Amino acid sequence: MDPLVMSAVVGIVTIVVLFSGVSVGFGLMIVSMLFILSAEGMYGMAVLPEVLFSKLDSFALLSIPMFILMGAAVASSRAGADLYALLERWLTRVPGGLVVSNLGACALFSSMSGSSPATCAAIGKMGIPEMIKRGYPKGVAAGSIAAGGTLGILIPPSVTMIVYGIATETSIGRLFLAGVLPGLMLTGLFMAWAIYSTWRQTEGVLTSRVKYTLKQRFELVPRILPFLLVIVGVLFALYGGVATPSETAAVGALLCILLAVVIYRMWHAKAIWHMFRDSTKESVMILIIIGASGLFSYMLSSLYITQAIAEWIIEMELNPWMLMVWVNVFLLCAGFFLPPVAVILMAAPILLPIILEAGFDPYWFAVVLTINMEIGLITPPVGLNLYVINGIAPDIRLQTILWGSLPYVGCMVLAILLLCLFPGIATWLPEFLMGPAI
Amino acid sequence: MSYFVRVVHAISRICGVVAAAMILASVLIVCELVFVRYVLNASTVWQTETVIFLMVGATLIGLPYVQLIRGHINVDLLPIYLSRKPRKVLFVGCILVQAVACTAIGYFAFELFLESVHGGWRSASVWGPPLWIPYITMPLGFGLLVLQYIADLVTMRDTDDPFAPPGSSMVAATPSGAVEPAIMKGKG
Repeated sequence: MDPLVMSAVVGIVTIVVLFSGVSVGFGLMIVSMLFILSAEGMYGMAVLPEVLFSKLDSFALLSIPMFILMGAAVASSRAGADLYALLERWLTRVPGGLVVSNLGACALFSSMSGSSPATCAAIGKMGIPEMIKRGYPKGVAAGSIAAGGTLGILIPPSVTMIVYGIATETSIGRLFLAGVLPGLMLTGLFMAWAIYSTWRQTEGVLTSRVKYTLKQRFELVPRILPFLLVIVGVLFALYGGVATPSETAAVGALLCILLAVVIYRMWHAKAIWHMFRDSTKESVMILIIIGASGLFSYMLSSLYITQAIAEWIIEMELNPWMLMVWVNVFLLCAGFFLPPVAVILMAAPILLPIILEAGFDPYWFAVVLTINMEIGLITPPVGLNLYVINGIAPDIRLQTILWGSLPYVGCMVLAILLLCLFPGIATWLPEFLMGPAI
Repeated sequence: MSYFVRVVHAISRICGVVAAAMILASVLIVCELVFVRYVLNASTVWQTETVIFLMVGATLIGLPYVQLIRGHINVDLLPIYLSRKPRKVLFVGCILVQAVACTAIGYFAFELFLESVHGGWRSASVWGPPLWIPYITMPLGFGLLVLQYIADLVTMRDTDDPFAPPGSSMVAATPSGAVEPAIMKGKG
């Protein structure tokens, strides 16, 4: 069969299998086994365990469970509540301060926990009721937290970026740096929209009448500062080339566990088990998707599908920006249904050669891809953050959350356009700190 | 709950504890590696491979536990729109297909394990640990996962939504405070 026809068949079968309700990792495994069996018979099947093992047999991959554990230590403590309270006390006099402090707390907490749902849950549980109590519209309250939570996969350290780095063999430290300025820009865009929508819906930006003493403003700093120092230390060690991502992440994880135990007194066996259980669950889930995606890309390459698609797109001689539009549309559609990790693992090996051929920067592309994935987290049909907010604020209708979140999708599309016009937003910082990519 | 289901659930929970312990061990070993390499300026021999094998082992041995708590994410679009009975039929179909795939890959992984034992295969590094040790986690993990699948089929009639974690409604809060919707998509 012609590889292009075969790729269409594989694409359709993959969609059918993944939409049937089977787990993403095992769905990819099933599709890979099916096509390897039909093309190469039992001999092809016999090598699959070795392929699976070889995909997981990597020291770089170890940074994923380590960063997840580091995030779980932060997420399972009361650090989110303290961070929220801290920012609220400092920004209380800023016009629209509560929504700004909520978004700031989301950005900071997402970099500490590295998880979008954990950020939504931790900040939203306090932020949403407080905003509604102070007169903010429900849509603004819920939408800002849902959008703020998505920053977790862009602002470093980000598991999504690590997965991209492993899938494309690009530098993880450089990828983290590439996410910093776009992450700040996106946070700024979110804040601007939040203030504007509050002003429009309440006919005047809300300012708080609550006053905090200097003591109240500083009393939470000693609890939050150590966590922030660990994160900064981890990133510093990584960028300074002192140690590899896995090494820095492991030390960071151990320090965050110790901080959670000491500062938040989480020394009960049950609390520690919950921390490990949550991180083990997430790590296993992501790593098996990575292993299965390895089987999937092995199958695609064995059947010459990867090569055929790349050649086909290059032969079309599309204008590079037209190509980028189609790539974005594809990523957006995939992100509507699939988790970021699966989209990156399935798409990156196929798309990256095409992107490089068209003259785009792989680090810039990582940021664009990640923002596309962020959009998928707050859009139907399966936007995870929408359901998380729905879970923690059941009195706000899902429709209100959705309408509140949609303008932030606009902010993200605007961010992608700005990145296309000014690629330096993503590429300047890594080049400034680490020199040009080789 | 039948005796079989209780035993399988207990085995899956033990797998979860073992996987978590393997991840904790990896953290401690990498910290030791950092200390030896960057503080003592000495070379490391066994640490890198050990932590990789622990991570691979934790992933595979953790599979049944993550299935027990429904942690393997799926696109829940179709199940969510189906009524109770068709959803259960779909669940049976999904579990059977996954069980067949896991049995097949587990079988070939067992053959690989046997080959590595008979051939005395060792890793190509200076340390050179025997490869059957990491290889055994593949048939073990997939085998126990198939057992968990069978237990899921047995307990299915007692639940309204077999796709959701046991004893949960649409959205359940975890003890750590995170919220886990039944419609899972992906954790960043």
